[in-house]
Amino acid sequence: MILCIAEQRGGKLNRASWETVAAAQQLAAGQPVTVMVAGTNLQSVAAELAAAQVQEVITVENAALEPYTPDGYTAALKSAVEQMSPAFVLLPHTYQTRDFAPKLAARMNRAILTDVTAIKQAGGETAFVRPMFQGKLTADVVPQGPSPHFVTIQIGAYRADQAARSSSAAPIRALPVTLNATEIRQKPEPPFQEARQAVDLSQAERIVSVGRGIKEQANIPIAQKLAEALGAELAASRPICDAGWLPMERQVGSSGQTVAPKLYLALGISGAIQHLVGMKGSSVIVAINKDPDAPIFEVADFGIVGDLFEIVPALTNALKE
Amino acid sequence: MVAHFDTMSTIILWLLVLLFAGAFAAQVATRVRLIAAAPNTFSVDDLGARGRRFLVDVVFQRQTIAERPAAGLAHAFVFWGFVAFGGYTVTEFLHGLGIADLTGTGWFYTYRLVLTPLAIAVLAGIVFLLIRRAFVRPVALGDHVSLESIAIGLFISTLMITFLLSWRLDESSLAGRINWWTHLLVILAFLALIPASKHFHLVLSPITVFLKSLELGRVPNLDFEKEQVGLETVKDLGSKAVLDAFTCVECGRCQVNCPAWGAGKALNPKKVILQTQDALLAGKRETKLGEIYSEEVLWQCTTCGACENQCPVGIEHLPLIIGSRRGLVSNGDAPEYLGGVYNHLERRGNIWGLSYDQRQKFVESAALETFDPARHDVLIWLGCAGAFEADFQKSLRSLFEILRGRGVRFGVLSKERCNGDPAKRTGNEYMFQELANGNIEDLKAAGAKKIVTSCPHCVKTIGADYRQFGYQVEIVHSAVFVEELTRGLRGAAAGETVTYHDPCYLARYGGKVDEPRELLSRFGAAVREPVRNRENPYCCGAGGGLLFADKEEEPGSRISDVRFTQLRETGASTVVTACPFCSIMLKGAQSTAGTDLQFVDLMTYVNGRLSKS
Amino acid sequence: MKIAVCIKQVPTRDWQPKLNESRTWIREQDASYEMNEPDAYALEESLRLKEKHGGEVVVCSAGPARVAQVIREALARGADRAIHVEDDGLASADAFVIAEALAGAMKDEQFDLILTGLQSDDQGFAQTGVILAERLNLPHATIIMEVQIENAATRVKRELEGGWFQWVKMPLPAVLTIQSGINQLRYATLKGIMAAKKKEIRKAAAPASTTPRQKIVSLYVPEKAKKTQIISGSPAEAAKTLVRKLREEARVIS
Repeated sequence: MILCIAEQRGGKLNRASWETVAAAQQLAAGQPVTVMVAGTNLQSVAAELAAAQVQEVITVENAALEPYTPDGYTAALKSAVEQMSPAFVLLPHTYQTRDFAPKLAARMNRAILTDVTAIKQAGGETAFVRPMFQGKLTADVVPQGPSPHFVTIQIGAYRADQAARSSSAAPIRALPVTLNATEIRQKPEPPFQEARQAVDLSQAERIVSVGRGIKEQANIPIAQKLAEALGAELAASRPICDAGWLPMERQVGSSGQTVAPKLYLALGISGAIQHLVGMKGSSVIVAINKDPDAPIFEVADFGIVGDLFEIVPALTNALKE
Repeated sequence: MVAHFDTMSTIILWLLVLLFAGAFAAQVATRVRLIAAAPNTFSVDDLGARGRRFLVDVVFQRQTIAERPAAGLAHAFVFWGFVAFGGYTVTEFLHGLGIADLTGTGWFYTYRLVLTPLAIAVLAGIVFLLIRRAFVRPVALGDHVSLESIAIGLFISTLMITFLLSWRLDESSLAGRINWWTHLLVILAFLALIPASKHFHLVLSPITVFLKSLELGRVPNLDFEKEQVGLETVKDLGSKAVLDAFTCVECGRCQVNCPAWGAGKALNPKKVILQTQDALLAGKRETKLGEIYSEEVLWQCTTCGACENQCPVGIEHLPLIIGSRRGLVSNGDAPEYLGGVYNHLERRGNIWGLSYDQRQKFVESAALETFDPARHDVLIWLGCAGAFEADFQKSLRSLFEILRGRGVRFGVLSKERCNGDPAKRTGNEYMFQELANGNIEDLKAAGAKKIVTSCPHCVKTIGADYRQFGYQVEIVHSAVFVEELTRGLRGAAAGETVTYHDPCYLARYGGKVDEPRELLSRFGAAVREPVRNRENPYCCGAGGGLLFADKEEEPGSRISDVRFTQLRETGASTVVTACPFCSIMLKGAQSTAGTDLQFVDLMTYVNGRLSKS
Repeated sequence: MKIAVCIKQVPTRDWQPKLNESRTWIREQDASYEMNEPDAYALEESLRLKEKHGGEVVVCSAGPARVAQVIREALARGADRAIHVEDDGLASADAFVIAEALAGAMKDEQFDLILTGLQSDDQGFAQTGVILAERLNLPHATIIMEVQIENAATRVKRELEGGWFQWVKMPLPAVLTIQSGINQLRYATLKGIMAAKKKEIRKAAAPASTTPRQKIVSLYVPEKAKKTQIISGSPAEAAKTLVRKLREEARVIS
């Protein structure tokens, strides 16, 4: 049996859990898959998970599990996993999983393979594929030792819609676990989002950046609208900030901020090296520039050569659809 | 002058001489003690070259006259006159002190005849200089008129006037005796005043010029075995630096040629030298140099070398500033923006912190071969800009085309580290030596005999600074190499008007100013010279680590903006550069100015004209 | 305060992958090494905490003899002494083996605080710090942005996904894995480098035999290399294509 542990916070299911279900279903190849979720007030989350094509949904409820702590989750899930005796335990590779899963595996003295992107059969064994050396190499890894083996799945490696659903809801069962609240050493305070007084580009997940190609201050709202559609922060190269069109805190480059967002859109930026060194760490770089020889295209993942005054509004519209 | 001397006068003169000479000696002794107490940094290699320089610069006053012809010539007359009068002064004192009387001899008469036109020249010179100082008041000489200078000027005038008057006055008359005593008393007063004034250069500058390094901006390696960390406090200053401090003549040439000063910043090289002097005389041995100069000032220097290059009395500003930077950096007090650069150099071996596969991409796309001494004539050193800066790589592609077109076989190293210039000039000596040693090992292993590069900083560092590690190799800038390669060729007669910005590290450090101009005119360009050109360019502002500085809060404008304005004012529509960093800075300045000058690297220009012909 | 920082020596980010004969690990002779960058941030944080609260910083590392290079770098930046668990086999070991090696050498030192980077640039498990905490029976928190110390407790700011954060209080001693980029790394000063030569590096033996929990059966170069995709078409078409690619290929928008 393959056990899949879903993640929830405040009664809301983390979407990555569906990706994990998809992975578990692939691994199971017909064998039963069980989904487990821990916390308090799990009824609606369990009901949502019951739509998956799985054998059953297990809820692990305990007052000491709210709020989340690694001590609490480790103790509770150890008890739960031991009761279930699965061959594999799959979790999504979220920040929360990274916080407790290695502890859980270590306490149980079991293998844990993290950040897995695919599952394959290799020479009669089930091997798990994961990136190594900053993505320069890929490894096929096989867990050693007795089961269960823990596996965390990289976010986005599987698609949530790949998880097979069932027309009839799977049964939901509550699993009692022993948990001593006094063992929990962490005292978490409520989560919060940073107050937005200062612009901190280094924390932004998406950035739309403007360069000289924007031509005039009056054109900046075009980029602003795109940023809003993307849920992105607005940034700029040095000349824009020097001219006072955007405040200095929005400058990206060797004499401004260094950023590493998931997505960086460079609009009308040539890609001079002082700007490049400020954003080269971005995961995905998109460049829009009318000069096909602009150095920015050397580092971009995606590029559009053309007039940004036409492309950017089209992009904003395409995002709204 | 034949004067009547009675015993009384002789005794009085003896007393006065002992008094004033004593004052002179005491003050000189203080300064000599300070020089002797300092760690020895005097060097006297290549006596022949030093001797020649001494002859040209001190005896013939080339340095003084070159930049300021009128004042320089006036000074030359005063100097030559002063030297010529030496024998006269000695003779008069010997007579007055009752030691020997040669004043009646025929040769003395002839001597006085020869001195007379000189005295007139000196007088004319000193009056000119006095008017310049008191009324014209050039900026270089400071905010307020130096009373000391006026006094000296009046002294010299008085000496000449009294000498000339001696022809007319009867030495035994009252007027004659007053005239004689005035002359000698002025000399004695002068004597006592010299050591504590900038006129001490009379004594020191010949020594300082002789001891000045033959290489511009020579900063010796730190010896880590001896636990040397750079200049931290006043007592760390070397003997040459102490000598320099007392030699300063306050002419202000360093100041007015300094690009930081010219952009309105706090750095003033003249002030740095004078602050050193004050600190030494005040006995502040344990005071940190960062406090004496203010750290902010130390980090405004681009190491362009204009100050040291212009100094007529042999002062070396660069080892002082860079040495002080070393003292700060060794203690972790480098400015924040440099911390990132040092980490990039340490982790990635280049100033940008970029990954090496980017260099590899360029090497492959330009079809560059790995250097093999058996097959290749020259090694091309790409440098940090060549390896990673897309804009500059266009210039390198032009260079490759030129070389291939002329049948030059070349290759590149499979791995380069930054040559270490940003580390060396900002005072991170450890990082510099790590990089240098690594590069020297690789260059030796590759067996390179001749290196061509388009970055002047690489030329200077690998060509000159690496010699301190015992590594000598011929390295030339692409402009020099291509000029030689294309001699006898004629490009399309374009007649285009361009302006050329001399890179400091090529023109001032390397002395290469004709080759780029030769190339430009050979290929049909008419060069409009900007102010500050050839061996005395106005820095673009990138050197000394300032490429990475974010200087928004500083007073004054950006050095690059000032230079850009100078280039724009030539009226040319194209600016030709020969250094990747000049190009970065000036293009940056253009984007702030919002104009539309064309920027082209010299190699791209030449290649463009070559392919047309 | 007695602070430990666990650092790892990894191949430099510039290194071009070369595989060994059996294609189960890299050719170590071809690689040059450096300090794992996330650990450098942990080191910087530990030095700042020492500057603020006093005490000593002990650098701990497990690996073959060449690891001494990064230990010296850490000492040059201000760590006071070091512990080196030396064993050639640790070069390619998994997080379990490494954590156990470190725990064995560290458990008698009675550290108040242990910091590690959040993951390593080579294997990238993001497990070692957490397993170390479990083996030492200490509370832990991961992906920490800020550390406050008060009395015998610590209050740390955890990074959650999506721009959320959370403060967590724990008693000391505790283990923290530090998020990268939270501070400005100091460079090794000349004086620091000179002083590092005289600082103590205590050698510790690796535990007799720790069972590895995973085996690499095959190591290979991934097929897709990063190449720029230029999207053509009219502005409207190109925009649509770009959005689709960002959504489905790059997966950076939903």
